[in-house]
Amino acid sequence: MQEFDAAGVTLYALSYDEADALRDFRDAHGITYTLLSDPDSEVIRAFGILNTLIDPDDHPWYGIPYPGSYVVSPAGTITHKFFDNSLFLRAGPEQLLRAAQGQRLLESTAEAAAPEAVEVNVAFDGKSLAFTVQRDLVVQFTVPPGRHVYANPAPQGSLAVDVVLDDNRHLVQRAIVRPESELHTLAATGESFQVHHDRFELRLPLTVSNAAGATTAINVSGEVRWQSCDDEVCDIPASRRFELSLPVAQTPAVALGSEKGAALEPNAMAHFQKMSERRQGSD
Amino acid sequence: MPLELETRGTQTEQGWQDHDGFLGPIQPGTGPRSDPRGDFPTGPEVGAAMPDVGCLTADGTRFDLHEHRAGKPAAFVFFRSAVW
Repeated sequence: MQEFDAAGVTLYALSYDEADALRDFRDAHGITYTLLSDPDSEVIRAFGILNTLIDPDDHPWYGIPYPGSYVVSPAGTITHKFFDNSLFLRAGPEQLLRAAQGQRLLESTAEAAAPEAVEVNVAFDGKSLAFTVQRDLVVQFTVPPGRHVYANPAPQGSLAVDVVLDDNRHLVQRAIVRPESELHTLAATGESFQVHHDRFELRLPLTVSNAAGATTAINVSGEVRWQSCDDEVCDIPASRRFELSLPVAQTPAVALGSEKGAALEPNAMAHFQKMSERRQGSD
Repeated sequence: MPLELETRGTQTEQGWQDHDGFLGPIQPGTGPRSDPRGDFPTGPEVGAAMPDVGCLTADGTRFDLHEHRAGKPAAFVFFRSAVW
């Protein structure tokens, strides 16, 4: 939260819980951002994101949204959205913050602003990997002046910039977030294709699977691929291996009625009962 | 858009494993594990104005999103529940 505050980004979180349930939740976890209560799912419906796959007769569950996040500019325009088909996955705080700051570039570690060859650096945007919370593996490219690398999709026979992870049962990954590419036209032939110049980064959202057993650290390894060209000649495709050892944040299991030993939220059973009764009474 | 329910899962000794490899206590496609398969509604698009949000805070006071954020950038999260 300190980083959100320092960046001047306000964080809100809304659920279908009653205000008193949110108050218990806030006090138990020392939450300082604004929690919002939408017990009749009016806001959720107004946004059109009510989870209609849940039967209205399933009283306790009905009314939840498809979980997701919006990032809003100072002028009030939506600049980013984070939604996923899996209800297990949520946008991580670094993803929200980076989007709200309007820039996606981490501080570069490239040694020179204008290197002679393409420089590639692999970093992780966050302190730890976590179950359900997505954080990005970041691949930073610095491309020398006068050169470009192919964006995705690359012209036939050429290689687009890419990052490919080795198989790892501990990780669940989502599609690479790529920056907007630029149209590049060769003066000699008039041929056009999409490229990246200068500094840019690819982001690969990662989260920890709970199926591979508990672990305190995960080796994230794989390969970065690219092909660099100037307006006359292309280098052969290049690649670089990487391996990062990342700590895994230990998160308690909190879902009501899930595995043994799961910690309940404060007064969870009472809030749950109240919620169920109110819904049954409104039929 | 026609919505399809995500029901792919296998029962293991530790619980139900979904197609992403996540373990859960109940079968995908039942109760709160009602994941959508394919496209599903995600609300207003990028580039659109963020709708105003009027509701209650945890303290039970009235809340208005655009008034509260007062011209600052914001991240707005819809989450499942603080109870379960």
